[in-house]
Amino acid sequence: MSYLEIRNASVGFGPESNRANVLKGINLSVEKNEFVAIIGFSGSGKSTLMSLLAGLETPDSGSVYLNGKEVTQPSPERGIMFQNYSLLPWLTVYENIELAVRKVFTGYSKAQVKDHVLKYIEMVNLLPAVEKKPHELSGGMRQRVSLARTLSMKPDVLLLDEPLSALDALTRSNIQDEIIRIWEEDKRTVVMITNDVDEALLMADRIIPLTMGPDATLDTPFEVPLERPRDRATLNANMRYRQLRTDIASFLIEMNEESKRLRSKTVLKMPDVTPRDFTIATSTALREFDEEDAFQLEEEEKAG
Amino acid sequence: MSEKTPEKIKYSILRFLDVTGFTVFDPLVRLAFREEPRKQVESLVKFLIIPIIFIAACTGLWWVVAPNHKTKSGEVPTPDIVISSALINDTFSNREKTKESDFLLQGEDRLESLKEVEHLMAERATELEFLEAHLAEQESIYKTRTESLISPIEAQLNALKEKNRAARTGRSSEIDTLSLQVASGERPYEALVRAIREDGELYAMGRGEESVFKDQIEAIRSDKYKPLEDARLAVNAVADEIQFLKKRQGFLSESNRSVKLEQTKEKLVAQDGKLSNAEDAKAVLREAKAFVKLEDGIGRLETQQYASAMTVYLQIKRSIFTVFVGFLMAAAIAIPIGILCGLNKIAMACLTPIISIFKPVSPVVWLLIFQIIVGAFFPDPESHPFFLFFDSIPFINTLGINPSLIFSACTVAMCAVWPALVNTALGVASIDKDHLNVARVLRLNFWDRLTKIIIPSSLPLVFTGLRISLGVEWMVLIAAEALSSSDGLGKFVWDEYQNGSSFSFANIIYACFVVGLIGFLLDRMMIVLQRFVSFDGSETAV
Ligand SMILES: Nc1ncnc2c1ncn2[C@@H]1O[C@H](COP(=O)(O)OP(=O)(O)OP(=O)(O)O)[C@@H](O)[C@H]1O
Ligand SMILES: [Mg+2]
Repeated sequence: MSYLEIRNASVGFGPESNRANVLKGINLSVEKNEFVAIIGFSGSGKSTLMSLLAGLETPDSGSVYLNGKEVTQPSPERGIMFQNYSLLPWLTVYENIELAVRKVFTGYSKAQVKDHVLKYIEMVNLLPAVEKKPHELSGGMRQRVSLARTLSMKPDVLLLDEPLSALDALTRSNIQDEIIRIWEEDKRTVVMITNDVDEALLMADRIIPLTMGPDATLDTPFEVPLERPRDRATLNANMRYRQLRTDIASFLIEMNEESKRLRSKTVLKMPDVTPRDFTIATSTALREFDEEDAFQLEEEEKAG
Repeated sequence: MSEKTPEKIKYSILRFLDVTGFTVFDPLVRLAFREEPRKQVESLVKFLIIPIIFIAACTGLWWVVAPNHKTKSGEVPTPDIVISSALINDTFSNREKTKESDFLLQGEDRLESLKEVEHLMAERATELEFLEAHLAEQESIYKTRTESLISPIEAQLNALKEKNRAARTGRSSEIDTLSLQVASGERPYEALVRAIREDGELYAMGRGEESVFKDQIEAIRSDKYKPLEDARLAVNAVADEIQFLKKRQGFLSESNRSVKLEQTKEKLVAQDGKLSNAEDAKAVLREAKAFVKLEDGIGRLETQQYASAMTVYLQIKRSIFTVFVGFLMAAAIAIPIGILCGLNKIAMACLTPIISIFKPVSPVVWLLIFQIIVGAFFPDPESHPFFLFFDSIPFINTLGINPSLIFSACTVAMCAVWPALVNTALGVASIDKDHLNVARVLRLNFWDRLTKIIIPSSLPLVFTGLRISLGVEWMVLIAAEALSSSDGLGKFVWDEYQNGSSFSFANIIYACFVVGLIGFLLDRMMIVLQRFVSFDGSETAV
């Protein structure tokens, strides 16, 4: 049995009579100290999957196991970083993180708590904003606070829901490095949702696509057998990397098209017609029209 | 550095205006610091000067319209009369304070003050004499003036009366003869009936003509003669002051605390002598009893305070105190119950009927109910330990805590509980699910969840509720005080309405402004508090 496991889980929303199944037949095994990235289209159910792992959502059927024990409720050992940050707006950046630290490290003295909190704030480069309230921060800054809060809890399993989506390229790569470092140093297990295939390839051991919802499920994973440390600069030249990138991209495109086809089937069967190419004709017509217009204008000017 | 400081001052002033909700004065501050003067002047004109002009116009309208409406308590007062009534109230309260300090003065200070007061009294007495002479003069001028105006009209009136009377006698003798003729069958009775009717009509006409003159005379009599009015007011003012000085004289001499104490001590010494010289048992007992009485008297005198009359400021203080007591009571009930309702659907279901039924009940009903209930708790309020306790606290003891304050506060609290409760429940129930998820992930226990997540997140709505509550309280309180004659601004208004002196109406309008102003300040205070607890940086509705 793996370290973190989902067995045949399904999740739906809404009342019994009109239930929308978001996830269906999800099976996932993550080994200890593995870095898994999950990619999928918007609205497919990635965040729902995260909530399931965190224990915030209970599956309708199937179950989630961590270390052999069934997950029934959330706990700080599975630190989740919410996609919408979920910062407490009445607390400052410092206090937001402090609340989590105090709760997790109950034995810490005041000074220890302070050091710990500041360490993580520094890690995400937010020392100048320590005393600010969330509403005074930019979206990216909030995202970093949320990340710092999750990391500061030093959870065994890090569940990161699009942790870097709002950041600029430079900040992003810095923080990617930080996450990798923490993961390697402290031997953590990471499940990360991302929309960025490059990011997934740079960071993850395994990339698992989530199919389109409803009834989304996890498809065959892509192993990423690239050596670590991976260097952004040289990675692009790596044949394997390029191969994987193309594979994943085409997989995603295919999935998109398939879903479109699936949807169109249910709607209407269109007659099989090829549209005639009007572009040449129209463009000539337009040009002619323009010339006529210009001529008319000239005439008017003369008259006026 | 020197350039930075004014900027800092400017921003701290602007911040203050922002927090207190007086952003109207923003441009004034910015203008003072020469920031975009054109723009500031423009917004000054738009949002400060035009409103001021508007208010001035309203006041002007008041000034013009008010005197045209005559009521049984005199004309509707104009703004200047209201202002002078405010000043009179102020003088009254200052005099009460002076009397109080006089009462407590002792030793050299007392004698000095006494001398001063007596000197003043003499001065005022001569002034009064002069003013009274002036008044008499003005009265005679007025009299001759009105007489000269009235006498020609009166002559006309008398002539008319004479004429009418003669005509009437003529007519009645005519009727007499007519009736004889009708009786003897000489003439038909219709002629008599016509004559009687004619007589009635002519009589009424004559009365009407007379009343025109009468009205003219009445108008001249009631026409106010300004110099006479002024003279009368001046006399009254000085007479008033002399009255006040006489009171002061009393409080500086025989009614003074130290003097009374001195006298009683002397008596005690004498009594001591009597006691030691008493012969038989009966006499000893009698003298000893008298001795004890005197000693008790000294004890009482030593702590005796001046019994101040209720000035408007004392009434204001008491009303504000009552409102705060009621506010604390309302908050203490509403917030915990509101949180409970927000957290627990069953609690909500239990309380909804109670809230729905009692929320619309009129304050008057609550007042009567609490008057009965509170009255039963304190059958003998003077010696009840609860009130004795309050009387021993400085500052609060001057407010006169009594059962009527308690039931006013209860009434006010009862009416104010609902908005606070409903808003608190709403605040707690509408807490963001994301925030609760944070609490779940951190496995916060109930207490932490309550204090770290639920209460902070619902605070803005709680304060919105409290702000509404305070507004309701202030309105209800004035009515409750008026109705129950419990001391406070409401009673001030009610007393003025009842006693109907020349300044009563002006006093009521003055009280109206005072009530409004205090209500406004209370609301502003709540806005500031609301600002401090709001975390999303949003503006508070004014
Ligand atoms: N609490 C809820 N109640 C009802 N439906 C929900 C709820 N949460 C999510 N859903 C539905 O589940 C589906 C998946 O939502 P989810 O947030 O997991 O998507 P996602 O993959 O994270 O998308 P994105 O990339 O945009 O974040 C959506 O169709 C959404 O409408
Ligand atoms: Mg999502």
